[in-house]
Amino acid sequence: MLPRVLFLALMLAVGTLAGFSRVALDRLAQGSSGDPELLYLPNGKHLKILSLGHANVLADGIYLWAIQYYSNYERKQRQRYVEHIFGNVITELDPRYVDAYWLGALIMIVENHDLEAGLRLLEKGIARNPDQWMLPYLAAWECYHGKQYARAAGFFEQAAGIPGAPVVVRRMRAGMMTKVGSLREALALWQEIAADPASDSLSIVIAKRNVKELQARLDVEILQAAVERFRKENGRFPARLGELEQGRYIPALPLASNGRPYRYDAETGTVSSKAGRILGKQ
Amino acid sequence: MSIPSATTAVGAIALNTFREAIRDRILYLLLVFALGLIGVSRLLSMLTVGNEEKIIKDIGLSAISLFGVLAAVFVGVSLVFKEIERRTVYTLLATPVRRWHFVTGKFVGLLLVLGMIVGLMSAALCGLLLLRGEAPWALFPAIALILVELVVVTAFALLFSSLTNPILAALMTFAIYVMGHLTWSLQLLKGQLEGGLAVGLVDFLYYAMPNLERLNLKAEVVHGLPLEPGSVTLGVVYGLSYAVLVLGLACLVFERKEFN
Repeated sequence: MLPRVLFLALMLAVGTLAGFSRVALDRLAQGSSGDPELLYLPNGKHLKILSLGHANVLADGIYLWAIQYYSNYERKQRQRYVEHIFGNVITELDPRYVDAYWLGALIMIVENHDLEAGLRLLEKGIARNPDQWMLPYLAAWECYHGKQYARAAGFFEQAAGIPGAPVVVRRMRAGMMTKVGSLREALALWQEIAADPASDSLSIVIAKRNVKELQARLDVEILQAAVERFRKENGRFPARLGELEQGRYIPALPLASNGRPYRYDAETGTVSSKAGRILGKQ
Repeated sequence: MSIPSATTAVGAIALNTFREAIRDRILYLLLVFALGLIGVSRLLSMLTVGNEEKIIKDIGLSAISLFGVLAAVFVGVSLVFKEIERRTVYTLLATPVRRWHFVTGKFVGLLLVLGMIVGLMSAALCGLLLLRGEAPWALFPAIALILVELVVVTAFALLFSSLTNPILAALMTFAIYVMGHLTWSLQLLKGQLEGGLAVGLVDFLYYAMPNLERLNLKAEVVHGLPLEPGSVTLGVVYGLSYAVLVLGLACLVFERKEFN
């Protein structure tokens, strides 16, 4: 009986000792500065050699760890090495890991406010996964949020050119072309979407509305420029838009989508359209 | 006593090896660990952001491969040694059974065991994916080549088991597994050499060592990439012919082995 009691007491004592020492070690680790575990994570190219054909599962493990690590807001300087972990480690281990590209880019752009670093990672992903429209699509959105509309249009164009990209990508591309002022290109894209039998009904409705509005804007721009030329040559605004056609300032008078002439204020020389008002000066 | 045909002798030894191996506790331990890991992959996938199925497939395929190799090594290296240690091999070889029948029977028996555990692990992985509404069929080429890789590893385990004690045989088989996944580095080494005998030696090593990376399609099937035409068939032909070559060596070694 006594040996058994002694044994239990000994077990209890060593268990308690292990518990206390573990708590003390955790406190020590919390007090230490820096994040040494990140410092020693080598490049994925080297880890791939060590993985002996299991690089994918190693990439998964580091990716899962990185998610927990970078979402811990209590960690000091947690944003250090984020480009290394996602760009040099995870995506080198598994170059086809699409999730790692976009999540790493999202952390860099949203948390670190470093658009260029995020785009570098996405561009690396695009180069290695040319069949994945999602990566240029996300890069485009990040550029859009960063008010880099021309770059966004370029990425949307890239995404739209990838087989399997949904119609929404083409819609975004057309919208972005409008945003950067390439109205003719935007109009051609919207017309293409409206006429494509593969487009869904909602996309066709949106495309037709945009075609109408863009056509109106382009017509108003042409008419307004003709009015201005008329004023410079005649020293007055035309009394009506028909004078522009008669004076060969325009080859033919364009009509609004309702079949009527565009609105014209002879006193101020302003041409306007209801559709143009809806679209605004985007 | 009539001499049994090769098929009868090999078949009888294979069946006996299979029965013996499935009684091995280490096999059950490995199987439980592997099935546990495949189950846990579902929990791990919940921690991810993005494609959960990728994590399940990656862990599942790696578990099948790693635990298969562990089973091939630990069970394989002890099969011949046990027979010698227990002296049952003397009784067996006293009958009209040829020594190569014995080695081949052991090999086939172990392959049956490995086929069974790979089948169970694959069924668990496929079941998990089917429960999530994901079709697992695209994984089959990778699983087939994992099995071929295990055939090669088993042949080496048996060869080393005929040569030395189980611990050394296990270490040597693991070394072959590691080298088999790093043979590509010999090509890098060749690039650094100026030519002559050294290049010839590196080339010889490159083709003499098994290239197990050629049997690794895990990344391709998980990402749904198109497989090179003929890559699976060629992989199967390469792996099986290589394994037969190693098995032949094992038979040769066992033929010349002296039992004192």
